[in-house]
Amino acid sequence: MWKGWDKAMKQVYICTDTMTGLGSALYDAWKESRDKEAGIELRGKVQQQLFCEYKTVVECEDKAVKIAGMIKRHLGYNAYWDICNALLSDDSAKGEAVFHAMQEARRIPDSRKIMEHLGHPDVAKVFELSRRVSNEAHRYKEFIRFRELKNGVLFSEISPRTQILTCIAEHFSNRFPLENWMICDKTHGISLVHPARDKCRLVWGVELNPEAAGAVSDAEEAYETLWRVFFESISIKERENPGLQRNMLPLRYRGDMPEFWTDRSES
Amino acid sequence: MSDEIMQRVQSRAMDTMKNIKDSIQCGTKHIVQTGSAGRKNVYEKLRILSDAAKYDVACTSSGVDRKGDGTGMGNCSSAGICHSFSADGRCISLLKILYTNECIFDCKYCVNRSSNDVERTSFTPEEVCSLTMEFYRRNYIEGLFLSSGILKSPDYTMEQIYATLYRLRHVCNFQGYIHVKAIPGADPRLIQMTGYLADRMSVNMELPTAESLRLLAPHKSRKNILAPMRMVQEKTKENRQEITVYRNAPRFVPAGQSTQMIIGATPETDYQILNVAEALYKKFELKRVFYSAFVPVNEDKALPALKESGPPLLREHRLYQADWLLRFYHFEAEELLDEENPNFNIFLDPKCCWALKHLDQFPVEVNRADHRMLLRVPGIGYKSASRIVKARRMGNLRFEDLKKMGVVLKRALYFLTCQGKMMYPTRMDEDYITRNLLNTKERLPEGADGMTYRQMSLFDDMNFTMQAGNSPAKGPGLHVERMG
Repeated sequence: MWKGWDKAMKQVYICTDTMTGLGSALYDAWKESRDKEAGIELRGKVQQQLFCEYKTVVECEDKAVKIAGMIKRHLGYNAYWDICNALLSDDSAKGEAVFHAMQEARRIPDSRKIMEHLGHPDVAKVFELSRRVSNEAHRYKEFIRFRELKNGVLFSEISPRTQILTCIAEHFSNRFPLENWMICDKTHGISLVHPARDKCRLVWGVELNPEAAGAVSDAEEAYETLWRVFFESISIKERENPGLQRNMLPLRYRGDMPEFWTDRSES
Repeated sequence: MSDEIMQRVQSRAMDTMKNIKDSIQCGTKHIVQTGSAGRKNVYEKLRILSDAAKYDVACTSSGVDRKGDGTGMGNCSSAGICHSFSADGRCISLLKILYTNECIFDCKYCVNRSSNDVERTSFTPEEVCSLTMEFYRRNYIEGLFLSSGILKSPDYTMEQIYATLYRLRHVCNFQGYIHVKAIPGADPRLIQMTGYLADRMSVNMELPTAESLRLLAPHKSRKNILAPMRMVQEKTKENRQEITVYRNAPRFVPAGQSTQMIIGATPETDYQILNVAEALYKKFELKRVFYSAFVPVNEDKALPALKESGPPLLREHRLYQADWLLRFYHFEAEELLDEENPNFNIFLDPKCCWALKHLDQFPVEVNRADHRMLLRVPGIGYKSASRIVKARRMGNLRFEDLKKMGVVLKRALYFLTCQGKMMYPTRMDEDYITRNLLNTKERLPEGADGMTYRQMSLFDDMNFTMQAGNSPAKGPGLHVERMG
């Protein structure tokens, strides 16, 4: 057998689609193959290719923390922010793009300016993914609707494309420090739980009890109706423009927003 | 004289305090649970008073960054957050309501003028506070926009507004955004006290010239409008100094002030309007000037009849575009319009128009042109210009890279070179570029794919420009975007 075969093979790291998983994969990839071509793929989405060696990453929090520290130290906080956001996106090639961007950062004179190097395709990809996630997070800061449950908890269900809960946690914790609230991401099965006067936490793999989530407080319906009254009367008839409304507030967000529940309001 | 005012303010302040105490004693129970009679009232009031407030276009929650301190509810983000979009496509950011739609003034263009027979009602401070807090908790809104008709007198109205804001800030401990109207003619001290509770304050110009104001708003005068504006400006300046000395001094109108002008009710040209706006930005340090396409709600001989063509939305849109050019792109009103061309072109946006008239300055080289010049290229926005400036330090940029950075190449390609080359072979000819820019669908310029012929049409003469004022706004594929 040809002696240099292991050098010609592309090493591909397989990990789960979580921050810990991706962090561990980046850690391993950086440790073993930072000077050569390597890939990172998500478990369950691997497309087998020739001349690749596949390896499942041993995932642990420690590795993720270490790589995060390294990125912050060498690439600066802003690049770290972009990379974190990019890793939360729904693109299966996100790990690889981040890895290549990190490799590119070693080649430019000032690594801290890596995110300005948009001429590089992988940096541009990380930038785009980061923008996609932060745009969606911003959309949800706007369009999340809470309903008050019987026990006074503010509850919200959303179905985002990317894993935005961590991006909006700080915003809502600061906004409602004295409230018990909870946001449930139905797409990824993650919940963000905030007990009053406390830090908020991410919870994985807990089944939502639809009965408990549907039991709203007495005043809830009245305020939803008031909100619909306001929503109707604030629009100027002469200027009506549903196309513009759809541009600004796409239909996919409307399912969870009480102002668009026309049928339920009458029941 | 000043003693008398002082006494009046003090006695009013006592009343205000009493009001506040009363409403505290009412308890903080939900307003909607106060019996069936009360219940209907709140729905009706909200319908009437939000319907009456909708013609005020300012609905931004921007300009101030404030974290919650952990003891109440709410924070502010300087970019502003829109929480919904109504059927007319405008954003809903604040709970926009009037305190009352009773009014002693008789402005011709206003639904609430005293000579109109409309249903009149008023909120109580408690109702406004409960609505704001409960909507805010559910993340429906970003804060409160409180305007008002003139009930009894300007002073009395301002006092009611102050009482509401006081309750909201100090009883409900609300730390979100508050936009409040300064009532023209109210006691400056009341306005000042209110300013310490609000984030943004606005006095509406309504009409760009004193003459139109006299015609359509007989109870308002330019002096009455500009005086509180100047006062807020000076107080803000003072406050800035206080804050540098005492870090925790209370903030006075931290998000600045704004105003609004009605477009199309009076015969002013775009050039006049834009000049007024520029003066307001420069001399009064306003944060925003809003333009509101005139919607005829009253039949009046002093008002134009616009029923068939609808409100002048395209004109309003062009004014907003020009407004952006003034505030972010270092343009001057004089550059965009002049006495001979006092109105905007309805087919092309103001920046394209400017570029077409100054083709001698184009094309510019992306990899070398300074930031200011990049900002003047059609298709390059504020963000993409700064991205270009940063990215080109790392290496030469190509057209593909520009596209990824968010440059709109279908407009920019006529005005740019990358490393000395244009994207396609194009002519630096005004007619040619105009014709291509008017092809709203993304399309290669003629000749780029080797084809140099095209179908002739009777309507090919693009040298003509229609005046915005006297023609219906129906260009090829024109549509009005939101800029606010």
